[in-house]
Amino acid sequence: MFKAIIESEKLKETIEAVSSIVDEAKLNLTPDGLTIRAVDPANVAMVSLTIKSNAFEEFTATDGELGVDLNRLSDIMGMAEKAETVELELDEESHKLVIRMSGLTYKIALLDPASIRKEPKIPQLELPASITLSGNDMKRAVKAAEKVSDHITMGVDGETFYLEAEGDSDRMRLDMLKDQLIGIKSGDAHSLFSLDYLSDMVKSAGKANEVTLELGKDFPVKINFQIAGGSGEVNYLLAPRIESD
Amino acid sequence: MGVELGDIFNRHEIELRDLSGKVVAVDAYNTLYQFLSIIRQRDGTPLKNSRGEVTSHLSGFLYRTTNLIEAGIKPVFVFDGRPPHFKARTLEARHKTRDEAMHRWQEAVVAGEEEEAFVHAQASSHLKEGMVEEAKTLLGYMGLPVVQAPSEGEAQAAHMVLSGDADFAASQDYDSLLFGAPRVVRNLTVTGKRKLPRKNIFIDVNPEIIDLAEGLDANGITREQLIDIGLLVGTDYNPGLKRVGPKTALKLVKQYGGVEAVLAEKGVGIENLQEIKDLFLYPEVTSDYKISWGPLKESDIIDFLCMKHDFSQVRVQGALNRLIEASDAGQQTLDQWF
Repeated sequence: MFKAIIESEKLKETIEAVSSIVDEAKLNLTPDGLTIRAVDPANVAMVSLTIKSNAFEEFTATDGELGVDLNRLSDIMGMAEKAETVELELDEESHKLVIRMSGLTYKIALLDPASIRKEPKIPQLELPASITLSGNDMKRAVKAAEKVSDHITMGVDGETFYLEAEGDSDRMRLDMLKDQLIGIKSGDAHSLFSLDYLSDMVKSAGKANEVTLELGKDFPVKINFQIAGGSGEVNYLLAPRIESD
Repeated sequence: MGVELGDIFNRHEIELRDLSGKVVAVDAYNTLYQFLSIIRQRDGTPLKNSRGEVTSHLSGFLYRTTNLIEAGIKPVFVFDGRPPHFKARTLEARHKTRDEAMHRWQEAVVAGEEEEAFVHAQASSHLKEGMVEEAKTLLGYMGLPVVQAPSEGEAQAAHMVLSGDADFAASQDYDSLLFGAPRVVRNLTVTGKRKLPRKNIFIDVNPEIIDLAEGLDANGITREQLIDIGLLVGTDYNPGLKRVGPKTALKLVKQYGGVEAVLAEKGVGIENLQEIKDLFLYPEVTSDYKISWGPLKESDIIDFLCMKHDFSQVRVQGALNRLIEASDAGQQTLDQWF
């Protein structure tokens, strides 16, 4: 069984964090909350999300999984006002998700969880460098790079976190010194990433107070931040590009 | 080839772009035959290299797969393994048809009947030893995943969709639905202009999606009953009843409940009935496959197609440039960090 009440904003954040990677996802329910793990079809980006039961005003669930069409859900959540709460309930009989918000009731068909792309294992990566910065700064850096290129290099030089983008004719470089960051752990880090993926990821990460990036040399980047008022956590993993030329 | 059920399934026409980002398990044999059949010159002569060996299939796998990749589709090609033993008779009959068609094609060419020649040429399409290996080689150089089915490729593709590793099964045949594929896409590799047989008219062919659950629901039948309908119409494994098309078969199965009752009523039989039913319900498939995308090997493709098979280097390079543009060659995948 599954029944929960949550602030609409928290639910929207949760959906957005996952829908930036995949269109369909399997929600794993436990009495303690819900988790989602998904990888995009190209196997380039991965999301792992945990929302603890205390993110909800009310939360009752037995172990189970729900297959959800995230675009559908996101579309419906567009009907919810910012401050209102939304009630979610699994109708076991029809196997539909009932969504209630201020007098409005939807019954949403669920997907067969077996038909959703398999959940990825999470690779165990020890990455040498780690940078913590505000979500807003992260968003600004990505936006700045988009002006000149479709990929971005992120690296660490001493106690400076730098971001570089190079297009056919134009370049961008952004240096963030230690005092502009919330924290930095120096290490050998220099990797190139696709901005297509990063732009989607910072839609969610950009709203967080703190975003932690873990980087290596030509290694994937881990992007970790909290959502749902600190009761939820999102971990992205993005594979690097190999520099051509 | 395959069971013809178009009349009872609702087909949703889409654009290739709508499948962007989707992993599509493509029935490779079916695709190979399509290429051999349609990629021909006006008098029906297939594309050939300087040694006279047919290369229509290679042209198809390069240029038409490039179209898919350009649309953002992630194709996985599934090749047939050993056919079930009771398919032998069907295969034999096909050989005979092809031999006859080959003969008529030559007659039509001699008589100067171009339209007639093309039709017979298409029907004479046959798979030569080596074509499958050539196709696999090319797909490998293109960095595309290839899956070897233990038996029928369509069954394997259906299994891959059911287990969530692919979003769609692609085949022209409706057999995919009988094998239980929840979502099937048709016309994937033949999208574009197609010539109508015996007419100098070209029509637009768009991909179309069939949803198994929707089709079963709309007709008020179960998948078992769909298989029964297939058996009555005729499948790759049995000829079917005389003068029974999909609509009649649907009516009969709904009226009598199942294929056995229909056969009893009509006083006829279907050879290997139970075995064929079991084949569709419990086909031989494997979960031992890996779907991963590798790098595009440009110089290997040029060597293979231009040096060995006399393709035009300019045109091949054009396709390669499109592939590079679309496939984002520098992007690594997460596979290598597991």
